[in-house]
Amino acid sequence: MSEPVLRTENLTRRFGGLTAVDNLGISLAGGRVHAIIGPNGAGKTTFFNLVTGLLSPDSGRIFFRGRDITGFKPHVISRLGIKRTLQVKSVFGELSVADNLWITRQARHRFLHPFRPAARDLEAKLQVEQTLEQIGLADLAARPAGTLSYGDVAMLEIGMALIAEPSLLLLDEPTCGMSPAETSRAVAKIRDLARTIDIVIIEHDMDVVFGIADDITVLAQGAILASGSPAAIADDERVREAYLGRPEDEDFVEEAAHA
Amino acid sequence: MTRRSLEIGMAVGAATFLVAVPWLIPALTDNFWVSVITEILIWSLFASSVNLLFGYVGLLSFGQALYFGFGMYGVAIGIDHVGLSFWPAFGLGIASALAMALVSGVFAVRLSWHYFAIITVVFSLIFYFLAVSMKPLTGGDDGINFSLPPVFRLGGSVFSLTDPTFQYFFVLAVVSLCFFLMYRVINSPLGKGFLAIRDNDLRASLIGLNVYVLRLIAFVMAGFLAGVSGALFAFFGRYASASYMFYQVSGEAVVWTIVGGAGTMFGPLVGTTLFIVIREIVSSHWEHHSLIVGLLAILAVIFAPKGIVGLWNGWMTRLGERDAAAPAKPRLTLQAEP
Repeated sequence: MSEPVLRTENLTRRFGGLTAVDNLGISLAGGRVHAIIGPNGAGKTTFFNLVTGLLSPDSGRIFFRGRDITGFKPHVISRLGIKRTLQVKSVFGELSVADNLWITRQARHRFLHPFRPAARDLEAKLQVEQTLEQIGLADLAARPAGTLSYGDVAMLEIGMALIAEPSLLLLDEPTCGMSPAETSRAVAKIRDLARTIDIVIIEHDMDVVFGIADDITVLAQGAILASGSPAAIADDERVREAYLGRPEDEDFVEEAAHA
Repeated sequence: MTRRSLEIGMAVGAATFLVAVPWLIPALTDNFWVSVITEILIWSLFASSVNLLFGYVGLLSFGQALYFGFGMYGVAIGIDHVGLSFWPAFGLGIASALAMALVSGVFAVRLSWHYFAIITVVFSLIFYFLAVSMKPLTGGDDGINFSLPPVFRLGGSVFSLTDPTFQYFFVLAVVSLCFFLMYRVINSPLGKGFLAIRDNDLRASLIGLNVYVLRLIAFVMAGFLAGVSGALFAFFGRYASASYMFYQVSGEAVVWTIVGGAGTMFGPLVGTTLFIVIREIVSSHWEHHSLIVGLLAILAVIFAPKGIVGLWNGWMTRLGERDAAAPAKPRLTLQAEP
């Protein structure tokens, strides 16, 4: 693949005096799982917000498969096939789990029929049922999403990303708040997805990162500190000093994750 | 009794009652109540326009009276100044409300929450004062009185709203049709899009919904409901007046909707019925009847945040769960039936 799936040029975003993303030039090749790691405040989520149009950059450009998407509205970017999950889990709380998936599926269409009964759309209904099976929430289909446990909401978010059939999926700490069993289920799901779609994942859980990523980019203070294969990143002195700490020092990573 | 049979029973009961009103009411009480029920139907349609925005899209509008007023004036000016017959005047009322809703919606739905509420009030105040001052067109405070053209002629007979029974059925038919249309919209893909935006507009934009356009569509639809109710009210009262464009009228519809149950199909009907019946019964004995309105609104917000219909739905859900749980019991335990 010659054209990277996602590329930025001199991307900068400031909040007052703080430069969250600083002249960032990132280029992510297709067909691989990219992980973005870095201490809190490194600009990871801001980077996602810029790519998905929730924020507009102060300067710089963003290209999705060679197309300049800088300044596009979030729903336009979403319809181009870039879907994301949010760090603070975010679903439609008063809609049922099934309806959350259903509307996510429908939103791919430009036109929402104003009079046809929603229940008559059998294609979407089938997709919803399949996705419910895949994410293991079939038993909770009729429950309002706002009453789910945190781990189940995180799973539902992955399901919503799935059912939209994205071409690029941005996952912002997808396993945060999941139990170990849920985490391994989610990791398996993400690996499975990676075979057909491009994935960029922000994650603090190093087991997850080293378990799925083909490439790792380390951000610090809005700029790239290092990037390369997981093995190269794990061996990189600067990264170890700045972020990972000593391998056996789990507490340090934990602290970084919750700082 | 299961939840479903209870609900079907109530729906059939309510429909039978509404159809029987012109004969039932004179048999039981004063004829005057037929016209009160006609008025309740019209105002509940108006409250539905608040409900569509607040209950289903999450936009609290304090300015729906503006579109009600445009519906009214469209009819009154059409008949009195332009000399239109019944249906073109009805159409003019609805079209002016739709146009006004589109123009103000383009600006209003960019905002959300209190900013949205404020801009809707501002729009309705601007046009209220315009209507009061443009006396040659609107009649100002006195309004416009007009005489009713016939609805249609069939053979030799003329059907006109001057016949209270015909008027009642005409209003019932129009209001039922609007409720049916709203029901279809709420249960359509578009309606689910509305609900998604109400729940979480950020998420809605991330899954690819154009939040601005969907809110605008909802705003124009709500303008349609308010416009139809305003046009009906003009026919019902044979006049139009700027006083119905005042924001207090909008505010009443908000209270009716919230007490009845925002986000439920029939909440506005229940709330409107409650308050108009209270007003009709109490106002002849006690001039401060709006105190009761305030008290009920406060009680509803504290004890029934989803309104009377929401409270009812909660009971029904529990009833449904009990129904579902009951047959499962023998399978769960090995104990003998008591």
